[in-house]
Amino acid sequence: MNKEAEVKLVTSNTKKRRKSHSLEKKQARGGYLFTLPFIIGFIVIYLPVIFESFLYSVTTIERINAGESYQLVWAGISNYQKALFSDPNYSQILTAGLRQLLLDVPAILIFSLFIAVLLNQKMVGRAAFRAIFFVPVILSTGLIAQIDLSNTSLMTYMSDTDGIGTNAAKSTSVAEIVSAMDIEYLFGSMKIGGGLAKYVTNIVNQIYNIVNRSGVQMLIFLAGLQSISPAIYESCNVEGASAWETFWKITFPMISPMILVNFIYTIIDAFTSSTNSVMSYINQVYGEAGNDTLSVAMAWIYFAIVIVFVLLAAAFMSAFVFYQRRD
Amino acid sequence: MNNTQSTPRVRKETKNTIKVDFDRTPFWERMKAKFLNKYFLTKVIWAIFRYVILIGISYIILFPFFTKIASSFMGPEDFVDATVKLIPKNFTFDTYKYIFLENKYMQAVGNTALLSISAALIQTFVCAMIGYGLAKFKFKGNKLMFVLVIFTMIIPHQTLQLSLFMKFRYFDVLGIMKLLGGGSRLLPQLNITGGATSINLTNTYWPLALLSATGLAFKNGLYIFMMRQFYRGVPNELEESAYIDGSGIFKTFMKIILPLSVPMMITIFLFAFSWQWTDTFYTSLFFTRTSIVLMKNVIAIPESLNMTYAGTTMYNAAIRNTCGLMIIFPLVIIYLFCQRYLIQGIERSGMTAD
Repeated sequence: MNKEAEVKLVTSNTKKRRKSHSLEKKQARGGYLFTLPFIIGFIVIYLPVIFESFLYSVTTIERINAGESYQLVWAGISNYQKALFSDPNYSQILTAGLRQLLLDVPAILIFSLFIAVLLNQKMVGRAAFRAIFFVPVILSTGLIAQIDLSNTSLMTYMSDTDGIGTNAAKSTSVAEIVSAMDIEYLFGSMKIGGGLAKYVTNIVNQIYNIVNRSGVQMLIFLAGLQSISPAIYESCNVEGASAWETFWKITFPMISPMILVNFIYTIIDAFTSSTNSVMSYINQVYGEAGNDTLSVAMAWIYFAIVIVFVLLAAAFMSAFVFYQRRD
Repeated sequence: MNNTQSTPRVRKETKNTIKVDFDRTPFWERMKAKFLNKYFLTKVIWAIFRYVILIGISYIILFPFFTKIASSFMGPEDFVDATVKLIPKNFTFDTYKYIFLENKYMQAVGNTALLSISAALIQTFVCAMIGYGLAKFKFKGNKLMFVLVIFTMIIPHQTLQLSLFMKFRYFDVLGIMKLLGGGSRLLPQLNITGGATSINLTNTYWPLALLSATGLAFKNGLYIFMMRQFYRGVPNELEESAYIDGSGIFKTFMKIILPLSVPMMITIFLFAFSWQWTDTFYTSLFFTRTSIVLMKNVIAIPESLNMTYAGTTMYNAAIRNTCGLMIIFPLVIIYLFCQRYLIQGIERSGMTAD
């Protein structure tokens, strides 16, 4: 009797272990099965492409057999040297582009958070406003953005309603919604720096650009706002917190992971968009005969700077990010 | 204090109803209490502020479309006439007509639709699969693979444009073509393909199809991320009960998980489709010949409208914008039907950054 029980115990034990083992295996097999396309693509296409891209940046290409195949000639760091020191425009465009990136990112983040908070409130016509605000995400990319680049003259012409019959001097400044001079004059007596005033007027003047580029960020913030439990707001209300306090004490910490995500997304989006001045310069260099590997070196320099910046900023910001503990 | 104020007076009595007069606070007093307090005033001011901002920004978003539409109906004379602003004086359909007839518009729509629909369908399905695999299965390298997905999102394809082009211009998987063509050191006498050591895939749909099928095309990292976040919110019990009923992993995915994630997949399909529709980077990289007419080839000045006069720059800009309008016209229709799903899908994803 006693022996039988022992045997039973042993068999059940082995059975249990075997079963858990197979479940684990099944799990792993399922995981590999579903991610198989990515694994294959990453190994067969992506890794070689990255490796070759880096290889191109340290070589020059010579085509042989009338373009049927090609040969790489080792060039060392000469492409990088050429990009940084001999090319007359690259380093200037690079610094200007990075500065522009630094200025645009906070503007886009603040704007998209603000609009997401507005669009999250209950009001008449919310669905219509949401539909309008996401129009640029779908319609103002790629080809349309390219056409828009050459559009400034037409847009000024069309929106210049007071140009009729007035002197020509006025139409030169018509593209600016507000002029930095006025604002500086306004804030001159207060002790606010001229740089800040210029920054703000600059943002207001390129509001169309900023609206166009903050569509996806708005979506992400909106999704984050939706996931905050309404019970928290209710209890705040009961305790007598004002809307201002609720925003800074509840919404802002709860949305802070989204701010980090959006921050990284904005930088990457700004830096990969083809309207970006550095990218278009790289594209232009790529188009010139014999300069294709030079353009790759330029792209790598730009990428390295941006990635270092993203990592530093993300490490800094993640210290302040608040994660709500679920369950 | 008189007592009559607190006691209601019966004014009229019939068989079924009675009418009673209460002493109520006067109408103006009530209104004053309701509307003239701090709470209501701040609410009104906030509402006005909100609508001013929202309508203002909506105007900024939509105004370029208004000007483009207006200028697309203008004849060439209107661009030198200073009195014509937003309303065309010489109303004409010529711009549309000649772009339609001379820029091979229908051909471009057909080709691009084929390209975009197939690429978007493949991308949606593949990204759903990869996202599901990353969200629901524990296996070695899960975390690493997620990092790699983010990594593909971070590296811009512009950095890789030359090597992407070279990869598909001289396409070869793991040296197989080189081996068959006799180019390798291992078997130099082998020559099955007649000396060709690689396949030229440019000017075909293959590069985009391959990139889509492996989750490496434009912004696929973002889609995988979105799908993963969505599937993390789906309760495990759902699949467990399916497994207990004897359904396999793949069957469970097809029969239970995919129907569940339709709103999210519509969102991703919409993104993938419209970004591929207006894409310039991949189409100009992989389609170097003009024999395959795509949307990028539509943007040109038609022969019949090509003229030189004082307003040429503006007129040409207007023509290019009309091309743009015609390009996004199918997208607008799709957007009108799908924008509901776009926001719903994003809201349901409950994206969190952890």
